[in-house]
Amino acid sequence: MTDMELWNHCENPYPFVPAEVLDAAEAVRASLPNKYCDPDIAARLYDQVFEEYRQCDELGLHIVTNEHHSGINNLWAASPVITGIVAQMTRKVRILSLGTLITVRPDPVRVATEYATIDVISRGRLDIGFVKSGATEMTSGDANPMRIREREWEAIDLIEKSLTSRDGPFSWEGKFFTHPHVNIWPQPYQKPRPDFWAATSDLPTCAELGRRGMVNTLLFGGYDKTRLAYGAYKQARQAAGLPEAGEDRFSYMAFCYVGDTDEEAFRIGQKIAWFLTVSLKSAPQMSKFQPGQWAPEMAPTMWRSGGSKRPSNLTAEALIAQGQMFAGNPDTVVRQIKAFRERVGGCGRIIMMTHQGLVTHEEALKSFNLAAKEVLPQLQGLGPVEQRVAAE
Amino acid sequence: MMHHELEILRAGDEAADTLLLIHDINPISHTAPFIGGLARSRYIVAPSHPGFGASPLPADFDTMYDLVNLYLDVLDNLDSDRIAVAGFGFGGWIAAELAVAGHRKLDRLVLVDALGIKLAARDERDFPHLFNTNPADLLRLAWHDPAARPAGIHGVGWQATISDEMTDADLVTLARNWDSLCLFAWRPHMFNPQLKHWLHRIRVPTLVLWGESDGIVTPDYGRRYADLIPGSIFETIPNAGHHPEMEQPTAFVAAVERFLS
Repeated sequence: MTDMELWNHCENPYPFVPAEVLDAAEAVRASLPNKYCDPDIAARLYDQVFEEYRQCDELGLHIVTNEHHSGINNLWAASPVITGIVAQMTRKVRILSLGTLITVRPDPVRVATEYATIDVISRGRLDIGFVKSGATEMTSGDANPMRIREREWEAIDLIEKSLTSRDGPFSWEGKFFTHPHVNIWPQPYQKPRPDFWAATSDLPTCAELGRRGMVNTLLFGGYDKTRLAYGAYKQARQAAGLPEAGEDRFSYMAFCYVGDTDEEAFRIGQKIAWFLTVSLKSAPQMSKFQPGQWAPEMAPTMWRSGGSKRPSNLTAEALIAQGQMFAGNPDTVVRQIKAFRERVGGCGRIIMMTHQGLVTHEEALKSFNLAAKEVLPQLQGLGPVEQRVAAE
Repeated sequence: MMHHELEILRAGDEAADTLLLIHDINPISHTAPFIGGLARSRYIVAPSHPGFGASPLPADFDTMYDLVNLYLDVLDNLDSDRIAVAGFGFGGWIAAELAVAGHRKLDRLVLVDALGIKLAARDERDFPHLFNTNPADLLRLAWHDPAARPAGIHGVGWQATISDEMTDADLVTLARNWDSLCLFAWRPHMFNPQLKHWLHRIRVPTLVLWGESDGIVTPDYGRRYADLIPGSIFETIPNAGHHPEMEQPTAFVAAVERFLS
């Protein structure tokens, strides 16, 4: 029996820059001057999202924080600060940091210290998520985009050792990081450490997550890519002789809006698409021409086609059909999520991106309320998924 | 014995004086007219850096230190006992490092629109960030006359010139070169903070040669670079940007020949 979880992911976007400024800008991330970010508006946005988190804590919706820099898409740039506040202001739900950017930050030991602190403040409610990052984040963080995956794994290994060592200090002299004296205080609340997640659809990485037993989450991957990713995870475990992973090891993030009616949800869900139509605008040097974006063999295709990552059709209906959005009245959303779970071979943790784009605070609160009260109860005690898909 | 495999372009008579060319962001094309010009009187050896062209990238290569030691290996392995070295742009940085490290065979040095040192104030750039600047801007800055750019030549800003005439194989190679350049030069971007205070160790006659219209790295930077190298000569080439060897090959070859002869 599977009890699915619902998580709320908000990037705290800033959709208040005049359209003519955004139209004229080369990129709306990394290089848009901060004179366009009014601190009073930002303060109000922080208040609103923290209020949403308080409601999620009451309703039993878990909370995801993340980190992007220098753009209209995200005000969580100082991610550990935000996650620390969430830890202190909530009491019940789990908190996933997905995550602070370990390929950008110079010292994984400092990251481990922040996470241990947050885990203690929350009394063991922290999950730690890792993302490879890339694109404008490499520019904002002055992080070399080459050999980024190797750097990510070394950072994860050092963070894990920092969180699990109790008889320190130990030293680390790796390829990317050195630290002669690692001995973090406090030690984390959870033992041996908080659970690890990673967001990826890269199949070799999914396989490694499988061998390590980390939670594999995909972001808007749609049905096929997600099923393949989970399949790589499962096959790697099987090949390594490890026990079958539970559905709690598989997670998926989608745009989500739950309304009283399908019509209402589609109308408001449509406003989320701002994320795709406006907030991803990036300069060619930070996107398709950034080194390391793809293997050189892929370059002719990506460069000639423009390298756009945007879905071609952005209506709510199209996003729903592609498995990238769950939207409708509560029963509709339940059907969509159950169908998704079946089609990808099992998925226990749905991350809802709801307060995104032009969706208002009040609209987000309404959706969370319906998701918790009308959707979540129908996602409990589910029978096993048809394994035919996963076994193909 | 070389420990690493390298693709090498060779031109001219092996019995002539050897001129080792250290390329900029892309390997030197055998069709570039300046190669023919230089090869009339010299034996030209132009390797592709590891990770560029057809040269493999060893898994443990990722710093300028690796490239300098590799080129010391190249000097060891060339037959001639008196070798002139010319470095272009990013390759000029490698050549300057190589000359600071010193090698008994190194006889003369030519730095062409070279990068590699930090001169401006800490909150000012000496040159645009090649990976964080729009390719259209780079193209405009890199050439005296971008419209008259020689066909089939991929200089700084080449991303803005991608066309259907370029083959997939060309694009794969350019992508590989771009990745490798980034690996070696993302941070600090295209300079070694220590290099400036060791340039006095360059003991060989040096020509610092600059495209007069170079907007990537200006002639003023070149003049100040030359001032740090004892006894060096600074010259500019008119009507040329960051790649004077490709934009004004005749004038370029003449300037190099005047110096080396």
